[in-house]
Amino acid sequence: MEEYQNGSEVGVGAGSLLWFGIESVLGGDDYSQTHVNKWTAAIVERCLTQLVKINKPYKYIVTCSVMQKTGAGLHTANSCYWDTSMDGSCTVRWENRTMYCVVSVFAVCIA
Amino acid sequence: MLNCFVSLQTTFIVEEVSKIIKDSVETVIGENSYKHGRVNQWTTSVVEQCLIQLSKLDKPFKFIVNCIIMQKNGAGLQTASTCFWDNATDGSCTVRWENDTMYVIISIFGLAI
Repeated sequence: MEEYQNGSEVGVGAGSLLWFGIESVLGGDDYSQTHVNKWTAAIVERCLTQLVKINKPYKYIVTCSVMQKTGAGLHTANSCYWDTSMDGSCTVRWENRTMYCVVSVFAVCIA
Repeated sequence: MLNCFVSLQTTFIVEEVSKIIKDSVETVIGENSYKHGRVNQWTTSVVEQCLIQLSKLDKPFKFIVNCIIMQKNGAGLQTASTCFWDNATDGSCTVRWENDTMYVIISIFGLAI
């Protein structure tokens, strides 16, 4: 797992929370076009539910991308216009033999 | 009338954001072919351009811009997002753009302050 964090408010646990969310949905499966729609929806839902349970005054955005491993290049970037002292993000990159999964959570403080 | 104007200033308008995204992608990438050495610079430029245009709108919003560029070679790509926010004021806009050699997916999330 590769994890990238930005901002201290997101919390140390965010990375593991996202990783478990991905693992619980994708763990052990091979890329399947018929199921991938259901998987991405389940991953974002599961991660969001766990984040909301932390009960902090934040708005959350969770994004998930699943890509089949065929040798294609994939680049992602994000940029945020927010309050750098209170808001933060965490991105986790997961993979298995047949696919890559990148999940990001953005946490924006409610003033 | 005043109430109507005020609410336009504080809600996320999908059409104007969608235009910003399309203009940014056309300007930065246009007809270029996918090149591994340049993609990094493209993703950075696209998100930066979008953010500059968004901040010029001068609205009381925080913005998150996300850009994905994928080479066209037959691989499957699926993306999803979910948000826990205020439905009345916050919103998102996702644009899928492509040329002969790559797919570009840009999402912008706007959260009212």
